[in-house]
Amino acid sequence: MAQVEIKKGEKELLDDRQYWWWAEKKRSPRLNYLRKGVWSKATKGSSWLPGVKMDLENARRQTRVFKEAPPSEPFIITRARALASVLDNMPVFITDHSRIVGYPGSAPHLLTWICTGSSTLNDDTINDRTGVISDEEMEEAREIERFWKGRTYEDKFVQYQNRKERVVGLMADYAAPGRDIIAMDYVVPQCDWMYQGFDSIIATVEDNIKNGEKKMRESPTAEEQVSYMERIDTWKAMKICLEATIRYARRLSRLAKILAENFETDPKRRQELLKISETCYKVPAKPPEHLWEAIQFDQIVQVAYRLEWHNGSWQWRQDYWHWPFYEKDVLEEKNMTRDEVVEYCAEWMIAAYGFGRAYLRVGREALQGTPGPYVWTMGGVKENGEDACNDLTDCYLESALLARVCDPTFGFRYSAKTRTETLRRVFECIRHGLGYPSIRNDDVLIPNLMHWFGHPLKEARRWVHQACMAPAPDTKWAAPALRYPQPSIATGSKAVSMALFDGYDPLTGMNTGIKTGDSTQFETFDEFYNAWYEQLKATFKMLVGMEHRGRNVEALFFPKPMTSSLFERCIETGQNSALCKERSSLWFTLFVFGDTGDCLAAVKKLVYDEKKYTMAELKKAIEANWEGYEEMRMDFVRAPKWGNDDDYVDRIWVKIYEDLGKMSWSVRDINGQPWPTLPESIAAHTVQAPKIGALPNGRRLGDPLYDGGCSPGHGFDKKGPTAVLNSVGKLDHVGSVRATLLNQRLSPAQLQGEKGFTMWRDYMKTWHDLGINHVQFNMVDNETLYAAQKEPEKYSELMVRIAGYSAHFVEMNKITQDSIIARSVQKF
Amino acid sequence: MATCSECKKFFPLEDDPTLGDCVQRVVDPRQAYYKAKPVEAEMDASKCSSFQKK
Repeated sequence: MAQVEIKKGEKELLDDRQYWWWAEKKRSPRLNYLRKGVWSKATKGSSWLPGVKMDLENARRQTRVFKEAPPSEPFIITRARALASVLDNMPVFITDHSRIVGYPGSAPHLLTWICTGSSTLNDDTINDRTGVISDEEMEEAREIERFWKGRTYEDKFVQYQNRKERVVGLMADYAAPGRDIIAMDYVVPQCDWMYQGFDSIIATVEDNIKNGEKKMRESPTAEEQVSYMERIDTWKAMKICLEATIRYARRLSRLAKILAENFETDPKRRQELLKISETCYKVPAKPPEHLWEAIQFDQIVQVAYRLEWHNGSWQWRQDYWHWPFYEKDVLEEKNMTRDEVVEYCAEWMIAAYGFGRAYLRVGREALQGTPGPYVWTMGGVKENGEDACNDLTDCYLESALLARVCDPTFGFRYSAKTRTETLRRVFECIRHGLGYPSIRNDDVLIPNLMHWFGHPLKEARRWVHQACMAPAPDTKWAAPALRYPQPSIATGSKAVSMALFDGYDPLTGMNTGIKTGDSTQFETFDEFYNAWYEQLKATFKMLVGMEHRGRNVEALFFPKPMTSSLFERCIETGQNSALCKERSSLWFTLFVFGDTGDCLAAVKKLVYDEKKYTMAELKKAIEANWEGYEEMRMDFVRAPKWGNDDDYVDRIWVKIYEDLGKMSWSVRDINGQPWPTLPESIAAHTVQAPKIGALPNGRRLGDPLYDGGCSPGHGFDKKGPTAVLNSVGKLDHVGSVRATLLNQRLSPAQLQGEKGFTMWRDYMKTWHDLGINHVQFNMVDNETLYAAQKEPEKYSELMVRIAGYSAHFVEMNKITQDSIIARSVQKF
Repeated sequence: MATCSECKKFFPLEDDPTLGDCVQRVVDPRQAYYKAKPVEAEMDASKCSSFQKK
């Protein structure tokens, strides 16, 4: 097959929708080499891909520093020295043909393992049965794990949890594992601060230390005097990290120079190596002045904080922050051509695709097929409200067609002002089967940020994706330094089961919920609805309360000096990133919550309105997993379903969302901010399926749950795409939730050519005007997906959108693949 | 006893020749790259499998 396809011309390949072969033909030899050579850190199911191994370098050096640290040394200084030891000693490498260098590991196939965060993660890592740690290194890995048992962040935090909180967190069936267990952040760097260069930041830190020393002795009050003790330690630790990061970049600079002068025989490559050397000597110490320097600056920063703590995402708005460099290098000084920029962008995407980390099996399953998700934000509006799309946005969209990686993906900020030429490229990415960009509605999400958190308009317009879905401004007082959705529910629809069984989970045999009464005694639907709502609220409050303590444990006992040093507010106050208050943009993820509305609608219709079945009968059928109750089950399946513009069920969804909004304001974080919810699913709609029993929408134990957050159930949306939008448009996307995720499948045959673009653009206008915050598309036909299931080796490049991220189809487990195929293909 | 400083792959630091990098070519199953590992000039290299006398 490969031979046949590769002989075709570009146009023929496009006409045949053979986009992966088209990309291979279009890519430069450099990109082809890097793309084929990159070590993906995605997982197949939950298993690492063949050849990927755990890197002990970080864990080894961190452990050594902590073992040898004098007991009197402030913890934050030890933390900083440990990171510096890694940055100074970890082997560095430069891959052939690459120009963007730096990786959080000592070889391209190795995964970063942060051993300081979570004993559970450490256990999971050393007990991996797939050989991710080699036999030769296993004893050392075990020794590292033994040393950290009782010393990790998790071990500190556990002391402030009760038995129920701990059990619920570890089970990962109802509550998602929290900050203590997953030990992972979503850091949004503050570009306008960082780009002054680390030398300049260090100078500020040194001034602060000097002034702090003085004030510690001369301040008028004792309270003020002692307040400087911790701040001085924090500043000193930040300085250690910033200086080590510069040294790390200069080690790469030195390697590039050695290669140019001693190894490289190709004069062109020699020049490239000298340019790498010059660039890495300069950044991040000095401000970037060219596009390639800005990219390299960002890459080094990513490496540095990913060696301190696991980061599950990659927050950036390249087309916005790098646009001045593009203007200078491409438009004014002609230092680069536009084509070279496209190649650079593609190279960066490929480099990012190679980043990975050790993380828990439960997380790897839920995010199967992706090493991230790394969502790069594109488009949107500027601070003054004008369209921010520019030619660099277009370059990135074009580069995605060439790189064809499933991570990073793009989240595109669509607004009424978005220019058509950029939209055309967005559509091309979708048409090429990338599954991205996801489309975000700026005219909804900017008011949403202002509504929930009081971000000023100009700051709200500076938002980037903090992870798959949630926007956060990248400004001084709003850029998040930590992962907000540490409190999340893994299986949102379980609250329905809890309401049916009075807080008892028949699947686990545990009283996971609270007592809300015997549901057979409820006389009205409202009573049942309230029981469901109380169940949800109880878990919500328990989990956000845990997170408040979790953040405080980090602030007091486990600070992150490297991460802190990237934030202006931390440098200014001398407080670590968990202690320093920001205008937080919180969210509480409700994974696989989508079945809830249809479950409640079915109960209302069949138990309370039509009284066809009693609650006792329903409970019995559900306890039996509908076995022996097939006729009854089909009645519940046929009850009104979301996504058909049917007011009976849509009104219930609207009420649920309104009540989510009310619940969100009932608890505030340390910054006084509410906790809005964010219904979405990643791959939890299949991964959690065995962890939630039968449901009143007719679902059986193990059947996939609804994907996305407001997507209709698979195959239940029978009235076309506009009916779906009409249902979803009834929700309040500003005031009820932080965001919610809509998956759609489009017909590649129908959307061919210019006519296809015009139809899609009109559809997007309807979507925008209905005030829906999000949508993402798969545009791959079933024939291709079935063929890929049959002969996966021929479809290794086939990508699909899951929910919040893209992945290679053949790297998903069968149930997830089937759930993609089961989505309705919408036809206009 | 052979030391790192006697090896072709040793590149001393300009400001401190007692330290340097061991620079090696690596070809893995997917890509090729050069790798630099910090070493001390007088480190024992007698058991190093990639040692190459200058």
